[in-house]
Amino acid sequence: MDSKNKISNGQLKALMVTIVVGVGILSLPSDIAVIMDNDGWIGILLGGLITIPFIIIIDRLFKLYPNKNFFQLGKEILNPIIFKIILVIFLFYIMLLLSISVRIFADVIKAYLLETTPIEIIIITMLLSVSYMARSQIEVIARMAVIIYPIILGFIIFLLIINIPNMDLTNIYPVFQLNYKALLKGVLIGLFSYAGYEFILLVLPMAENHKGTLKYCLNGIFIVIAIYLIVFFITLSQYGIHQLKREIWPTIAIVKEIDLPGYFLENLDGIIMAIWVMVIYGTLGPFLHFSGVVLSDILNTKEHQYLILPIIPIIYIISLYPKNLVQVEKILVKIFNYISIVSIMIIPTILFVLGLVKKRRENQ
Amino acid sequence: MKKALLILIILFSFLLTACWDMAEINQRLFVSSIGVDLNEANGMNKYLVTYVYPNINAIGKNATEDKKKFTIETASSSLFQAGRKSSTREEFPFYYKHLKVFIIGDELAKDSKLIRQVIDELNRDTKINKKIQILVTEGKAKDILDSKASHVPITDETIYNILIDNKSAARFTPQTLTGMIKELDFNNVAILPKVDKIGDRVTIAGAAIIKDYKLIGYLNEIENRALAFIKNKVKLELIDLEYEDGLLSYNITDNKSSKSVTIDGDINVNIKLKVEGYLQGYIISKDINVYNNSVLVDMERAIENQLKKEIEHTINLSQEKYNADLVGIGEYLSKYYPKEWNKIKGKWDQIYPDIKFNIIVEANIRRTGLTK
Repeated sequence: MDSKNKISNGQLKALMVTIVVGVGILSLPSDIAVIMDNDGWIGILLGGLITIPFIIIIDRLFKLYPNKNFFQLGKEILNPIIFKIILVIFLFYIMLLLSISVRIFADVIKAYLLETTPIEIIIITMLLSVSYMARSQIEVIARMAVIIYPIILGFIIFLLIINIPNMDLTNIYPVFQLNYKALLKGVLIGLFSYAGYEFILLVLPMAENHKGTLKYCLNGIFIVIAIYLIVFFITLSQYGIHQLKREIWPTIAIVKEIDLPGYFLENLDGIIMAIWVMVIYGTLGPFLHFSGVVLSDILNTKEHQYLILPIIPIIYIISLYPKNLVQVEKILVKIFNYISIVSIMIIPTILFVLGLVKKRRENQ
Repeated sequence: MKKALLILIILFSFLLTACWDMAEINQRLFVSSIGVDLNEANGMNKYLVTYVYPNINAIGKNATEDKKKFTIETASSSLFQAGRKSSTREEFPFYYKHLKVFIIGDELAKDSKLIRQVIDELNRDTKINKKIQILVTEGKAKDILDSKASHVPITDETIYNILIDNKSAARFTPQTLTGMIKELDFNNVAILPKVDKIGDRVTIAGAAIIKDYKLIGYLNEIENRALAFIKNKVKLELIDLEYEDGLLSYNITDNKSSKSVTIDGDINVNIKLKVEGYLQGYIISKDINVYNNSVLVDMERAIENQLKKEIEHTINLSQEKYNADLVGIGEYLSKYYPKEWNKIKGKWDQIYPDIKFNIIVEANIRRTGLTK
């Protein structure tokens, strides 16, 4: 097998969309509506826009140190021990993200599809099938993303079309009724739903063409913002604000609301679930891969393949630690949110600032 | 080594066959409609739940049995508890994914708490389609589900077809589960179609008014039609009225209504209704009696007056008799005047009866049929 291990810019965009769109999309409309009511879209939009400067920062970082990957670069900028600590935080963050995703995934599957299957079985089978892909190189994962990317877009367009006949657009009113406290909280929730974009820290150095990377990354994030906004408006106009707040996973529940003339399309949740498995696969696969890569650097091993399987039991245990979904929200998601601020905002910024200072000094 | 591996794989393949928890389609009872009534007995079992499920052996070309449907009644403490309880008598488990019709008995509907429990059960369930049709009956739901409708073998199928295929009908307004919850969220009031049993047949006409998850009264067909006009739900409707020396029959093909609210101390609501249609019938005579602009304009005035009278009557009813915001003014205010709404929403029940409604109807006769 000839693996050049390079990815094209188109693949980068596809990766951005498939990785960022994950379990969050199911509950996001409801979560943000609870805090911001009808103005949830502002939180989604602002949260998305906040990520842009950090994407630019990460892109600049690799322009400062061309031909170096994240690990080499980190060791050069920072003290190797401090960098190791950062990597450990990063690893923990990725593992938490994986655990939360796989747990919510399993709960949704259990609720809608496999009600008698034990949740442990769902988690284990998903993790094992994901691990198969995670063992391969980034190039293979990027190709998988290119396959899943149109499925996600198709899913959203399908959702939009089947909902148009009985959308009540007046449900979007009233707009601009927010207070500033709610705005801040809502923007944070919006921001967390974009967690995952920092994967470009690991992937950007592998890009074939370094010139266009920023454009394609930003395109990817804009597509994600658009997807989130569409989903929010569909669910809001279909449900009205009160019922939207009541739903746990409005994005899936919405397919039970469709009422097409001729009523030949009913109970579509089975089809949606099939698509949904792929959407989650597109999030879990890359991240399991990254966790292996990060761990292999921490342990100074050359190959990451052999570290994937040992990671799986840890994720399995973390994901089964909460007793129920409420605890997942209360414990895992809360910890995750704190760590994600560190890993998606603070780490890139520190690296960039220190790298910049160091470069300046060298030049003088 | 290779042989051992092969044997291992063959052995494993037995474990991996997918059908270990399959359920055959004829080993499930597909509940197609549920009726709930109040059970008078003391204790936990407040509901009398009626399940209707089709007899799968009686469907299709090679039907082996005659009876098209089965009904089963159980006194129960909750909706799905009834299914559990009946499982001691039924050979197969119930399956709710294809539930289509849900009928609430009159007496039960008067108890807010019991209705809330039932609606929550339906709304929370992962299997149930949220598009199920909800109806209220003035008698007992179990009687409706038991009756033999004349032309279609299964009663609930009849009810479903009447509701779905006559979407244009203004005599009743179909209501789904989510629709009902949405309306109750916004207005605290929802209307459900009323189903009745006349002789052996079921009819759906008029509406039941649900306020705060509690039945407070009924609207008849004409009142429901007036409401449907305001809510833009009329697609095709025929209006008959006395006009000079005959009966004027006017077929409505298009209906547009818009609301606007002005707030200056008092709340004034302007409802503008625009209907279009053609003349269905008047009275035959030697002379040309209709094909004349002034006559048509005069007829339009008469239709407008008739519609206005009906609408005003219904609104009066909602304000004085029921004090229920049927038109959805609360919803309108909460969407377009959120600041004012936040101030008054606590005492909306005191404010609503005093709102001034101003109704403007514009009727157009576009065609007169084939004759002059």
